[in-house]
Amino acid sequence: MGKQPLRRKGVSYAKWGYIFIAPFFLAYAVFHLAPQVLTVYNSFFENYREGLTQVGPNFVGLKNYAALFTPDSSGSVDILKYAGNTLALWLGGAVPQILVALLLAIFFTSYRLRIKGQAFFKAVIYLPNLIMASAFSMLFYTLFSNVGPVNQLLMQLGWSDHVIDFFAVKFTVRGLICLMNFLMWFGNTTILLMAGIMGIDQSLFEASTIDGASSLQTFFRVTLPLLTPILVYTVITALIGGLQMFDVPQVLTNGLGTPNRSSTTLIMYLNNYLGTSKNYGMAGAISVVVFLLTGLLSVLVFKSLARQREP
Amino acid sequence: MKHANTSESHKARAMLLATRAVVYAVLVFLSVLCLFSFYLLIVNASRSNADLQGGFRFLPQGNFLVNLKNAWNDASINIPRGMLNSFIVASCTALLTTYFSALTAYGLHAYEFKLKRAAFTFILAVMVIPKQVSAAGFVQLCYKFHLTNSYLPLVLPGVAAPIVFFYMKQYMESTLPMEIIDAARVDGSGEFYTFNRIILPMLKPALAVQMIFSFVESWNNYFLPALLLDKAELKTVPIMIAQLRAADYSKFDLGKVYMFILLAILPVLAVYIFLSKSIIKGVTAGSVKG
Amino acid sequence: MKKLFALLLVLVMLLSLAACGDKGESEPSGGGTAPAEPAPAEPDGEGKVFNIHAWNEEFKGFFEKYYEVPEGITVNWIITPSTDGAYQDKLDAALLGQSGAADDDKVDMFLAEADYILKYTNSGATQDVTALGVTDFSNAYPYTVQAASDASGVVKGVSFQCCPAAMIYRRSIAKDVLGTDDPAEVQAAVSDWDKFNAVAEQAAAKGYLMTASEAATYRVFSNNVTSPWVDGNNKLQIDANIQAWMKQAKEFSDKGYTQDCDIWSDECTAQMFASGKAMCYFGPAWYFNFSMGNAQDAEKGCSGDWAICEGPQAHFWGGTWLLAASGSDNPTMLADVMNTFINNEEVCSNLVEKEAQFSNNKAVNAKFAEDPDFGSEFLGGQNDTAMFAEMAGNIKFENQTVYDQLLNEGLQANWREYCKGTVSEEEAMSNFYKYVNEKYPSVVTP
Repeated sequence: MGKQPLRRKGVSYAKWGYIFIAPFFLAYAVFHLAPQVLTVYNSFFENYREGLTQVGPNFVGLKNYAALFTPDSSGSVDILKYAGNTLALWLGGAVPQILVALLLAIFFTSYRLRIKGQAFFKAVIYLPNLIMASAFSMLFYTLFSNVGPVNQLLMQLGWSDHVIDFFAVKFTVRGLICLMNFLMWFGNTTILLMAGIMGIDQSLFEASTIDGASSLQTFFRVTLPLLTPILVYTVITALIGGLQMFDVPQVLTNGLGTPNRSSTTLIMYLNNYLGTSKNYGMAGAISVVVFLLTGLLSVLVFKSLARQREP
Repeated sequence: MKHANTSESHKARAMLLATRAVVYAVLVFLSVLCLFSFYLLIVNASRSNADLQGGFRFLPQGNFLVNLKNAWNDASINIPRGMLNSFIVASCTALLTTYFSALTAYGLHAYEFKLKRAAFTFILAVMVIPKQVSAAGFVQLCYKFHLTNSYLPLVLPGVAAPIVFFYMKQYMESTLPMEIIDAARVDGSGEFYTFNRIILPMLKPALAVQMIFSFVESWNNYFLPALLLDKAELKTVPIMIAQLRAADYSKFDLGKVYMFILLAILPVLAVYIFLSKSIIKGVTAGSVKG
Repeated sequence: MKKLFALLLVLVMLLSLAACGDKGESEPSGGGTAPAEPAPAEPDGEGKVFNIHAWNEEFKGFFEKYYEVPEGITVNWIITPSTDGAYQDKLDAALLGQSGAADDDKVDMFLAEADYILKYTNSGATQDVTALGVTDFSNAYPYTVQAASDASGVVKGVSFQCCPAAMIYRRSIAKDVLGTDDPAEVQAAVSDWDKFNAVAEQAAAKGYLMTASEAATYRVFSNNVTSPWVDGNNKLQIDANIQAWMKQAKEFSDKGYTQDCDIWSDECTAQMFASGKAMCYFGPAWYFNFSMGNAQDAEKGCSGDWAICEGPQAHFWGGTWLLAASGSDNPTMLADVMNTFINNEEVCSNLVEKEAQFSNNKAVNAKFAEDPDFGSEFLGGQNDTAMFAEMAGNIKFENQTVYDQLLNEGLQANWREYCKGTVSEEEAMSNFYKYVNEKYPSVVTP
């Protein structure tokens, strides 16, 4: 945002700006805005279906929000618990994902390393993303089920003398979800970052090598600063995607977030309201909370990464 | 710094070799992890329904061709038709999404105008809205306006894709020098011409990346198409897979399901390999320095 | 300043759309009651397109083979997979928009399963089939008619199949535990739950499992409840029979009479192999014909080592009903289809003989029940049609509610966590109540 275009004397290009962004806003207004506005609007209403009978919409003010933040009998507030679950699951998957992706992107683009078989590796790491999440979860489920090969192997090796129920322990369920999300998305992130690195003017790398910089120095002094916008993008979209995590834990735990709802994510919670009862009131309120939370965290990420860039 | 003596360059060579070894080890390890799930899919696609009920297997079985034949001949679905439909929807979506996102990003990157900051902030704000709920509202609107059995509601919303826009914007910020635009203007190039002929080629890696992503996302999209398309000749791959899964007990065949899931990956893989060739080095090399 | 402007912009758009949204939202609520009006009868002015909604092609196959469509009418199948609730979502939208739809787009008939059939029969979206000319239910099994009736007994559809379910037991294990594998003697040993639980103890003493999943018996209990899930004041209540299952599940789990797993899990089906230890499964003909592949496996299976008896209580599982949509513009054909699939002897015989169905026609089933050649190899030669024909009359469809499917699923899943010991009883019930509140906002939970 630092660079300003030179202005030719007497010519204003402002109208082109409007023309170029017009299709986006038009399509947005037609296809996205109405349902999104309805979402917010619905959050102030009692609006659900019971069987085929529609109840509401009746205006209830902030009642849906109050219900969301009312502690249950044991004193814990569900939505906070699910927000915590979501963040834990996101961090567990996203941090290794971004680090590994960054490392791989550097491997693939380094002209000192000259990796052979790049086309093969790039295709392979993207494969898990092409398998539908539900099929991928099914495969993992059979692998780790009580009669699955992992349990058989552990028993044969003598590492365990009883069947381990991987889906009854918070740590292992969460671990599996993180692992699956990692596998499904690290290839994706690698490609993003790779495209970012490759977009950087190659002469800058040559210059830094001629100046005698080591590859580490080149990375921290040249690559990283120039990659920051893409890195910001990666972290923020990973955050948005992470807070909307749904399909993997949904399929793996059959929508229940077992054990004891410790792997229920915010969107699974939302989906519980949306599925049968079409409870647009509560679902709307949850989406607003998710929206605010994501916005808040995005601003934090944006600010902290942008500040690092300043000096 | 000077490295005159040979022992140091030997050391550097050894370091490089060691690094390479580590790098290859990491790559092979990750590849094995990734290939393993794909391998399991192939194994499952080669097993009969009864065998699949029996639990896990490490080695492929002999039912591959039978499953292929059964899936291909299943009366309730038409695999080539589904693939063609999915391909049309996914490629249109990918093209529209990437082109208009780049256009929007360029509009906000290259021009100064009053509502620039406001427009940018707006798009970033709506980017974080969870899509699950608006999907339900969107379906209702489509029913209301009789937009069923049409690909338009699946494809056109792609014109406004905040996340793809954001990527394009960030990419331009790190790689697109303003001087190029000015140089083009001096040469008398019109604004659309500059964008289509000069800027877009420079964005090739970014376009390829986002095209892959939106293609894959659209290819695997089930919920919206399932609710909007009911004519058999319009159905896409995920609907057909779900239909195989929902088959009644006398016809249910998990082997067919896995076979179709496997088949459905191949076109996307081809598109991916084709597009990833565009993620190449040094597109901006030799341009004016910022 | 500019950020403020952006915010303002969003707000203005929000408000302007909120105004439109208001109008749009109120429509479905009106639509919910509109279809209640019966279609004006116009005998000679019937529609040209007969629209049928379904989630798979099972019935479509039978329909195309055995039903002759009147000349001049095109049948349009709208098949939506049930995955992620897509079938009901789409069907609901179509039914709620029925009054405004063009005649050729109107839903004429749709298919429903027992699990959610009440959602449709208890609404104005379905119509009285006796008024259309479907009046003879003398050969249909009573529970299939009960299931298709609304709260006041108005019949809204018919089923073309009947799915009585049995206790499916391993002959060799029964011999070892009870000293007999004869269906009548085994039945005598498990004829009520106290006896069944006692047999479980005997089986465990010999190293067997009574069932392979604690949920295997759930359906038997829930089919025979004496009170509905929700009382007149919309309060959730747990029927004595359901409580009996909860007690049994925990006891079986703690004492090792069963496994803590879903009935569809690999863990549960692995016990069907010859090497398996489970004595009893519960299910109808389609279950042992199509879902017990491990038992039928040529090498590792144990086909022929199985038999069926009624078990502690009569019950059913599955089945597809044809429901008449209100506002159909093809009432004559609608009635004709329904009559054909329950009362046409030839069609019903074809279903039994050629399609391995247990038809919803007592007379036809009785014919095959008496046929000595009609035995199942898998059941060691036992004539399952005869057994089912005997049992089907005992099945009830009482005290069922629109909440059943999800509440039954939710209770099993949440209670399993308690059986496993990962949560306390209070936590399990609290999670179940949360589940109920999410699915059914108006139901009052403790």
